Amino acid sequence: MDLLRTERAFQDGLLGRSQDILQQVRGNARETAETMFGIYRNAYWARLVESLGIDFPGLKALMGDQGFDRMARAYIARHPSQHPSIRWAGRNLAAFLAAEAPYRDDPWFADMARFDWALAFAFDAPDAPAAGLADLAGVPPEFWGSVRLRFHPTLDAFRIATPVDEARPRLIENADIALDHAARCERAVMAWRIEYDVKFRAIDLLEHAALQAMRDGATFGDMCELVAREIDPDAAPLRTAQILQGWLEWGIVATVGHDGLGSAA
Amino acid sequence: MTARAVTSLGFGLGLRPQHYPAILDGAPEVDWFEILSENYMVDGGRPLAKLMAVRARYPMVMHGVSLSIGSTDPIDRDYLARLKALAVRVEPAIISDHLCWTGIAGLNMHDLLPLPLTEEALKHVCARVDQVQSFMGRPIALENASTYVTFAEDAIPEWEFLAEMARRTGCRLLLDVNNVYVSAFNHDFRATDYIDAIPRDAVAYIHLAGHEHNKTYIIDTHDHPVVEDVWQLYAYAIRRLGPVATMIERDDKIPPLEELTAELAHAREVAKAALGQRPQVA
Repeated sequence: MDLLRTERAFQDGLLGRSQDILQQVRGNARETAETMFGIYRNAYWARLVESLGIDFPGLKALMGDQGFDRMARAYIARHPSQHPSIRWAGRNLAAFLAAEAPYRDDPWFADMARFDWALAFAFDAPDAPAAGLADLAGVPPEFWGSVRLRFHPTLDAFRIATPVDEARPRLIENADIALDHAARCERAVMAWRIEYDVKFRAIDLLEHAALQAMRDGATFGDMCELVAREIDPDAAPLRTAQILQGWLEWGIVATVGHDGLGSAA
Repeated sequence: MTARAVTSLGFGLGLRPQHYPAILDGAPEVDWFEILSENYMVDGGRPLAKLMAVRARYPMVMHGVSLSIGSTDPIDRDYLARLKALAVRVEPAIISDHLCWTGIAGLNMHDLLPLPLTEEALKHVCARVDQVQSFMGRPIALENASTYVTFAEDAIPEWEFLAEMARRTGCRLLLDVNNVYVSAFNHDFRATDYIDAIPRDAVAYIHLAGHEHNKTYIIDTHDHPVVEDVWQLYAYAIRRLGPVATMIERDDKIPPLEELTAELAHAREVAKAALGQRPQVA
């Protein structure tokens, strides 16, 4: 099929994989085919770099315009967009930065990309009401151990090794601030949306583990055991209750279910 | 959607997030808004909420960039399903995209890439337009894109390609007058020849936009006001086509809404004057 061959040559030309398309296209009375095809090729790369810069403002501020441009082109070459919306072109960027030299040598990059992406995800993820403390208060005491939570669909949570959560707002305001790239941390960040406002919050690794377990379907009883294994068992009930209370107050829980309802959430 | 109903849309603008407050807090002189479909093919949040708030006050047209009607990849059914779901929500007067392709082998170049103008491409596009219209349960409108290259194998002028596509499939045409101007300069043909060949009854609406003139070629940037030459070509198109719904696109260097409504008021004046000069047709 000639059309398929033509489109393949055209796309390979855009991606920089082949120049064969220049034998098949024409410029005009003033410009060569190479110059005119170059309009498409330049636009392809520029458009994606620009879009990534919009979706990853923290990473762009962290890397600087030139560094970001160079990185974005390497990323696009490795992960051409596969989604009808350019909004999803950056979905592999954090993993790319964690795996590829030289970016993998500085964990700030992958962490910042992960953080940017979580905030972008929360922005237009599905709407859902949030449960509150009143939903928990209605659980009969004998069913507390069976409580399961369905989390808000905008919620994302992930570990970070660098304090990107603290640095990002300052970097976006002023990309020239001095940053200690040797700084490390051991915590997690969660991002979600309330109504139309995207929120984020740092949490410790115990709370992150509890969150992961509950997202995977664990019960409140399971969560209590998990916490008790990690800290002083005498302090575990209070700590567990505090974690749960925080989740409900922050609006990251969509529904509270328990066995007394006949079916878990 | 009949030609008469579309005509009644009047004069519109592309909906841009920067203008949400001005639109929702005021009552701008805009008859309808065109939305970029892909921007609202999301699951929730502010974009959809704002969209529906504007929709409650204004008619809308859905305009996409990723249908890829000319691609040799299979039609993306998931994309179509999302498009249809959005259409159920928005109830648009028209659903449009472009005569172009955006990628093959599962990739998306996020650009409106040109097709070789051959009988093979025409048959291919028509078959896919039939598929899409069948799935959507309504005609779609396809726009002439600005192009920067032509193909050695081209055998059909673009205007004939469009006209024949509309004849074979019953699809509508979105006539972008700026794109006609841009491509005419880039490929050394007469813009009025293009307009002359467009079937009157097929035109669903008209796009106007600005461009960047680089002396030896023009790039369709949508970041400037409409230039005088394009206004003149628009007047020519209206004299030939009669009253057609018209809108202005601005995608970069987006000015305050009042600048665009002032430009739209000029479009109304140009169209009114052109209709006054229109020869009476029996």
